[in-house]
Amino acid sequence: MSDAAILTEGLSKSFGAQAAVSELNLRIQPGAVYGFLGRNGAGKTTTMRMLLGLVQPTKGSARVLGLDPTREAELMRILERVAFVSQRKQLYGWATPAELVQMNKAYFPRWSDDAAARLAGRLEIPMKMAFKKLSIGNQSKVALLLALAQGAEVLILDEPTAGLDPVMVDEILRTLIEDHVSQGRTIFVSSHHLGEVEQICDWVGILEEGRLLLESRLEEIRQEFRLVIASGEGLPAATSADVVSATTDGRFRRFVVSREAERFAAELRGQGATILEISPLGLRELFLHLVRKEDPCTPGNVGVKPAPVSSFS
Amino acid sequence: MYAWKCWRETRASFIFLLMLSTVPALLVTLGPGIKEQSGWWHFDRSEYTHNPFIMAHLVSNMILTVLWPSSFLSAVFLGVTALGSEFEPGTIEYLWTRPRTRTSLTWIHWSVCVAEMVIVAIVPTYLAAVLLGTLTRYWDLPFLLMAPWLMVIVGLPMLGLTTLMTALRRSGKGGLIFTAAVVTVYVIVRQLVTVPLHLNPPTLFAGPLVWLMNNNQFGATSIAFPWGALWRAVFLAAAFPLAAQYLLKRAEV
Repeated sequence: MSDAAILTEGLSKSFGAQAAVSELNLRIQPGAVYGFLGRNGAGKTTTMRMLLGLVQPTKGSARVLGLDPTREAELMRILERVAFVSQRKQLYGWATPAELVQMNKAYFPRWSDDAAARLAGRLEIPMKMAFKKLSIGNQSKVALLLALAQGAEVLILDEPTAGLDPVMVDEILRTLIEDHVSQGRTIFVSSHHLGEVEQICDWVGILEEGRLLLESRLEEIRQEFRLVIASGEGLPAATSADVVSATTDGRFRRFVVSREAERFAAELRGQGATILEISPLGLRELFLHLVRKEDPCTPGNVGVKPAPVSSFS
Repeated sequence: MYAWKCWRETRASFIFLLMLSTVPALLVTLGPGIKEQSGWWHFDRSEYTHNPFIMAHLVSNMILTVLWPSSFLSAVFLGVTALGSEFEPGTIEYLWTRPRTRTSLTWIHWSVCVAEMVIVAIVPTYLAAVLLGTLTRYWDLPFLLMAPWLMVIVGLPMLGLTTLMTALRRSGKGGLIFTAAVVTVYVIVRQLVTVPLHLNPPTLFAGPLVWLMNNNQFGATSIAFPWGALWRAVFLAAAFPLAAQYLLKRAEV
């Protein structure tokens, strides 16, 4: 049995000929806040669904809290201990949030009425109005309330703040940090809002076309990752294992380097290149460099390699 | 709590079906006594006491004629709210991430629907029977007392079929259309086979109701009880939801 909160090994899912997730290796330690990033259709939601038994893997395995979601008995134990907010956040239209709370609490032994009441007030949810009559933002808040009051050890959140205004996004993030991160609960969150991810996550994984392009500590990205722009003729596609991405734009070549950028730049100079810039990268820039396809002359990101399973030192 | 959710979701249909069955059953029971005289309507109980035996059986036959479709209607109306109907609105993701097995959810819904079908069958029939017995002072009404249970047994395959079709189509509306299509095709095929060939095959599972209607005429028990149809009803009542359970267990969201 693994001590990881979430562990996947070679996890793959295909829908016909279309591979949604390919050979995904994740290891998320208990207490980690893991931002799962990727473009639309990258495979984030499918991965989350596989962890919750909603979709069966084609290949590979997954463990959540050491339990196998493909086995029904173990899945039931996972679902007792894991809270999930789906992308669609669709609940019963005829029910009021108060009724949904009553309905939901019966499923979870660690449900907290206090937390539910506090969240209802904090998120300004109209508890007596039918769910179908609520705005999209309020519907999202109800879905979050149900997940957060569950007392779960692991939160799996699929774009939890979609449709919320900035004040509510801030409120949700603060709630996550105060009530969950501070208590050492594991959060596995997908989001397109990289600012939010930077605010709460300590780990990020970037997925593209079902493959994990990069997995790293956010701190490491800030401190170590650099963008190296070089010019010159006949520059190599990738010269080092530390090169995460290399793209070509005319005579210029952009390298995203995971560590020792200066040494890498010196190597390039040795090959006759002129180094134009070495600059630190934010999460947004890194993400765009990794997944952007519109750079001319490159079929995707030639230097990108599947990320290794993280060591969590 | 899922049982409560099923009840909340089927409550409107249940009340509608209950009214739809009870009001006609009571009207049919009281109908023979309602008289018009010089432009005034009044209730004449002597119609019931004049010949209670004939009146009891005549009225109970009328009650059964009015009530027999109610179990099929209940089955279809309630069946379309089965687990498969939650795919279309997207609530299935919520439901299937609660720590309950898909099998248990399928059968909880089925149980709630069966309970409602029993009430929809029993309440109007027994209310009418009590009213009829009181008016005629003749209480020997075995067919009327037996009727709701046979109606429910015969309705169960329809509940199962609708549950299966809803799972197959992943939609309440789609399930309803497919159930109607299956029933229509069955009736047409049966007619195509029986009429030109002058065959009279036994009914698939509605035999007990046919027996009830035919035998109730003045209590003459001339036709043997169709045990074969009853067992087929019981078999289909179990087989259809089991097939739905199999489909749902393997379904992906």
